[in-house]
Amino acid sequence: MPKQIEWTRRAVLRLGWFGIIAASTLSIDPLVKYLTSKEDQLQSPLVVYNKPLDKNSDWQSAATARVWVKRDSRGAMALVASCTHLGCEVTYHPNRKEWLCPCHGSVYDVEGRPLSGPAPKALQRAAVEIKPDGSLMINTAQQVEMDYRA
Amino acid sequence: MKDQNFVNHIRPRFIPDGVLTILYTFCLGGLSFLAFVILGVTGFLLMFHYQPGDSTGFGSILTIASVIPYGSVIRNLHYWAGQLMVVTVNLHMLRVVWTHSYKSPKQLNWLIGVALLILILVLDFTGYLLIGSQESGAAATVAVNILGLIPGMGKGLAQIMFGEPSALSGSTLVVYVWHCVGLPIFALFLQLYHFWRIRRDGGVRPL
Repeated sequence: MPKQIEWTRRAVLRLGWFGIIAASTLSIDPLVKYLTSKEDQLQSPLVVYNKPLDKNSDWQSAATARVWVKRDSRGAMALVASCTHLGCEVTYHPNRKEWLCPCHGSVYDVEGRPLSGPAPKALQRAAVEIKPDGSLMINTAQQVEMDYRA
Repeated sequence: MKDQNFVNHIRPRFIPDGVLTILYTFCLGGLSFLAFVILGVTGFLLMFHYQPGDSTGFGSILTIASVIPYGSVIRNLHYWAGQLMVVTVNLHMLRVVWTHSYKSPKQLNWLIGVALLILILVLDFTGYLLIGSQESGAAATVAVNILGLIPGMGKGLAQIMFGEPSALSGSTLVVYVWHCVGLPIFALFLQLYHFWRIRRDGGVRPL
């Protein structure tokens, strides 16, 4: 004959504790999913540059994103102005023909190759598409080589 | 001083036979506090994704309710716990009148309860404004205009309580701060004092 469970106060409270622990355990996964969701801050990797860009221009900032564009005799190119050391925003100084990082003093040459400072590699280049109206569509998610031209 | 300590008053020193029946209080105060705790936890979670503001409030609510994983569960728990609390707080007050529990020596606790009722209603109202829908914009406009009727200090009071809500959305940073920080902290401490006074005034039921 199976033992009859006696619903004493102690047994009920123990069941209550068990329920609380079970509910807490089950809610860990939903909580992590909720707190780590980035659905409400979607960031498009696409940047548009729609100002006129002269042939053989120097680097021009896209202003709305950390993207700079330039055009030479072979075509247009785009550079992502985030330092390859720890990701600070680098700025192009036209008078020095160099990219300077304000955080730890990295210096890059005009093509984005590291000259001095802690930067380990060249600034990232992004793929460019020239639209029929002449504006540029830069895809920062698509990394390209330094001699890439659109 | 030892027996005036809050912690020492959470449990009663003795419980007479016969007071444990649920039919005396119907646990309405306890249910209100349970709803308050749920509101605190879910409200804290909602703050991670809610963006107050004229143009962002309503959109972020929609995003929480439809896109964020489990966001709709948390949002609905917060909403319905708020509705439940307004109901249970009013029934609790009705019960206190019914059992004459507002009489001496509990007059002060009755007054604290009235203050808590007003606080809960303001919390409910500010939560309604934070939804940021057009209805909330209309409600905010009405509230600002009513407060503005108070001579002298009305305009300033409306500014302090609501900021400058537009007619299309009641979600402002000012309402957000009151709803998420100012009013809940005030309500929490007033509730703890409310509970402590029960025991001080001779209440012998466990909470």
